[in-house]
Amino acid sequence: MLDGRLAYWRLGSPSPQTMELLLQTLINGILAAGIYALVASGLALAVGVVGIVNFAHGEFTMIGAFIAYLLFVGTGLDPFLSLGLAALVLFGVGAITYLGLIRPVLAAPELNQMLLTFGLSVALQNIALLLFGADTRVVSTSYQGATLSLGGLSFGVPPLLAFGLSVVILGALYGFLDRTRLGLAVRAVAQNRLAPGLLGIETQRVYLLAFGLSAALAGVAGVMLSVMLYASPTVGFAYTLKAFAIIVMAGLGNLRGVVPAAIILALAEALVSTYLPGGGGWVEAVFFLVIFVALTWRSWRAA
Amino acid sequence: MKKVWMVLLAVLGLAGLALAQTTVRVGVLLPISTVAGKAALNGVQLGVDQVNAGGKVKIELVVVDDGNAPATAVPALTKLMTVDRVDIVIGGLASGVTFALSGPVKQYQPLFLCIGAASSVVEQAFSDYNRFFHYHPWDYHNVAAALEFFKYLYDNGARRVAILYEDGPFGSAGIQTYRQQLERQGYTVQAEPFKSGSGSFTAILTRLKGFRPDILYWIGYDVDALPIAAQTRQVGLEPKLIYGAPPAWPTGFEKNNLSNDIAGMTAWLPSVANNESRRFVNLYRRKFGEVTDEYMAPMGYVIALSLGRALEAAGSTDKDRIAAELAKVQMDTPFGPLSFKPSDTGRTRFQGFNQSIWLQFQYLEGSRRPVFPPNRAARPLRFPGNY
Amino acid sequence: MILVGLLLLVALVLPGLPLGEWRAFLLDTAQFAFLISALALAWDLLARTGQLSLAHGAFFGLGAYAAALAAPALGTLPALLVGGVVAGASSLFLGLATLRLHGMYFAIATLAFSEVMRTLVLKAPFTGGAIGLPVQPAFGGAFPLGGYYLAVGVLALAAGISLLLSRSRLHYAMAATRQGEAVARVLGVPVVRVKLLAFMISAFLAGLAGGVYAMKTLFLSPYDAFGLGRAVEALVIPIFGGLYTTTGPLLGGLIIVSLETWLRLRIGEGYLVVYGVILVLTILFLPRGLVSLFHRKGAGHA
Repeated sequence: MLDGRLAYWRLGSPSPQTMELLLQTLINGILAAGIYALVASGLALAVGVVGIVNFAHGEFTMIGAFIAYLLFVGTGLDPFLSLGLAALVLFGVGAITYLGLIRPVLAAPELNQMLLTFGLSVALQNIALLLFGADTRVVSTSYQGATLSLGGLSFGVPPLLAFGLSVVILGALYGFLDRTRLGLAVRAVAQNRLAPGLLGIETQRVYLLAFGLSAALAGVAGVMLSVMLYASPTVGFAYTLKAFAIIVMAGLGNLRGVVPAAIILALAEALVSTYLPGGGGWVEAVFFLVIFVALTWRSWRAA
Repeated sequence: MKKVWMVLLAVLGLAGLALAQTTVRVGVLLPISTVAGKAALNGVQLGVDQVNAGGKVKIELVVVDDGNAPATAVPALTKLMTVDRVDIVIGGLASGVTFALSGPVKQYQPLFLCIGAASSVVEQAFSDYNRFFHYHPWDYHNVAAALEFFKYLYDNGARRVAILYEDGPFGSAGIQTYRQQLERQGYTVQAEPFKSGSGSFTAILTRLKGFRPDILYWIGYDVDALPIAAQTRQVGLEPKLIYGAPPAWPTGFEKNNLSNDIAGMTAWLPSVANNESRRFVNLYRRKFGEVTDEYMAPMGYVIALSLGRALEAAGSTDKDRIAAELAKVQMDTPFGPLSFKPSDTGRTRFQGFNQSIWLQFQYLEGSRRPVFPPNRAARPLRFPGNY
Repeated sequence: MILVGLLLLVALVLPGLPLGEWRAFLLDTAQFAFLISALALAWDLLARTGQLSLAHGAFFGLGAYAAALAAPALGTLPALLVGGVVAGASSLFLGLATLRLHGMYFAIATLAFSEVMRTLVLKAPFTGGAIGLPVQPAFGGAFPLGGYYLAVGVLALAAGISLLLSRSRLHYAMAATRQGEAVARVLGVPVVRVKLLAFMISAFLAGLAGGVYAMKTLFLSPYDAFGLGRAVEALVIPIFGGLYTTTGPLLGGLIIVSLETWLRLRIGEGYLVVYGVILVLTILFLPRGLVSLFHRKGAGHA
């Protein structure tokens, strides 16, 4: 027994502790990628399909978080159970936003659309501030601190739940995009905005659907955030920023690429956090450095 | 004839009373859209109501939002001084903003009653200004109070402390001092920065498992409280104490089981056993319909009351007379006794509270109770905590 | 162009006007307004080549820090120049790296650059890090209106360069580059040089503005100086005012800051909701920005 262990050591293999730390880090990264992918997919639908840079995406997430929080405070409903309701409400919000604000500026220059969604973002965030105040609010569920242990590795229950739900939801989304006629229409529009109109696909309906779905996905992510983080008027911002970066890394219009991009970035973050001394302070920089390098390198290679 | 005399006397009497009542306009410059700023404003208004109800002085408030940024705070102060023409300003909550205000304050020379701004950088900036009354403790006071608690924990067997600090000015300001002083006390220290609000602590906490800290000390904001509490348990890190030092805690945290046995430091709790504090809580509840946890509320209240006393004693609206009287004020407050003395470094001539207002509390089953220093404890510290 | 000249003239004589008790407040607010308008003009310059940058927060911040660090040794004006040059140099690197990126890819790459820069400044030992960096006032505080006129100067410089460029041959080169690089190249436009030149001028101006800002707020922190909010504002103002013009960003900046300030004073809590709604309504009804109100008669520069 001792010989075996000494032999293991002499070969210079990583110790069991190091392996465990590595595995745990990778798991942490993958679990975190769940919400990233959810928020990014929502944004990818808005940007890639409708062609709108939606600065207000974070506010949709925030609305989802507040819906979960208010339901929890009012009726004691577990936030994860309010996912369906949040999705429906946000779909409605997205549809109304599309019809009222987005459709009029579809033909306008991209920059105008940016200003519009930016103004919307400011208005929504501050309405929330007025209504609820700047307080950070947390919900209380029985499983918030729970953890699953499998062979020395721990899986936090809320991140695991969030990851699992993200997988299911994104799976359904991609199933929809791949197999249904409407889904294929969405993908077609994402790849080329003009052609589908020529081919008889009703782009307006597709846009409405895509934008509504985008908001619904954001809302679902918001519900998860309310459990894992908190609900407040500013909860959506940090994730939205990263979502923009992720979809750009995946490639605009490439809805499929969002999940791998989210995983790569989440893993990079986890590895830096764990292995770089003082890594916590560098995580953001590394995230964006990876994006920067990926974007620029890809652009030069394509030449 | 008699009637005319009586009327004349009555009129003169009333005129005399009116003259005897000193009315003064006071500017209030706070980040109203933040939780702490709003609480501070409420406290000031509550205090002013009290002062005015006394009848001897009348304070009129001119409230301006400082926008929580230098670019908005500096013009706001300018407006208070030049358009509203106030001589007294209550403000200075955030350190960075207060630092930026030091220039205009020295230019316009108001009597400046500073409600917050713990950073020593601000103390340095105002060290040559005489009309500066700093009520809030300085960061070195905060550090001293925390170190006292750490010493107590050391005496109870704690040897290893892991510090998680947010990499902004709030978290980074004291970290070198903490490290040094804790090591001098005999602790082994490991310190890690994090990005506040990111919610991702799993990696750092996993790494700390190897270090097996007795105390997990985190310096951040309210948004970090729940993720840290949850993820510490999720990764199976089992410190003997989770000790947080955010300026505020999230709403609803006490109702969450994860808060059990988490310790923190604050200047005040609504449950503090002190006549002034109880009075404040009742008055606040009557006016605003709720009980606040934010210590900036009683702080604003204290400033207004102390100003009222100074006004009464001075009997005039001259800011220097008022300042002279304010310097002599001694009163009981929800935080304990208040009087103005030079600060430990000598750079502040009129320092109000010091490290003695800080108390350590612990969450247990939905309520926060003071646990340290022992003479203020409502119940014993649960150490090790059950996480 | 007349409007631009008029606005600059007003800015110049503002301190002399009988403003009564509001004078100090207006001058203070105006100073910040001039700086953000200068930043907006700088952004617009780059946007004329089709490069929509989110890095202007970084250029502003780099200029601010460089000027703040250089001022004790070099004095105010040289330090400001240093700030501008540092920003310009960093933009050269960024411009070269992102030459083949367009649209949102370009924007995100510049955003990434900005975030990395902020972290570097945060971690660098000589910048005061997270705690912040105290800054000396302009000219050591010798001239009460020194900071104000520096801001006017930067604004005038930005406006002047913008006008010059729009009347030069470079204007057509930039427009061609914006409308289609491949075609521009075929037409003989030295696309790379045009893009890089625009980048450097734009960043230089942004850095200057940052330096003057530092000397006004007397305190820098990485989160404030490199704020994403400012980068977005630099983008929002030209769209609001009118893209690819000089009047647009200038007027737009002054109006937006005035609007924000006025709303904050008048409405107090919740004023930002009104602000957001106004932005939305403006772009719905004035798609070409404010300048479209002046250009009813037909095409014209300014």
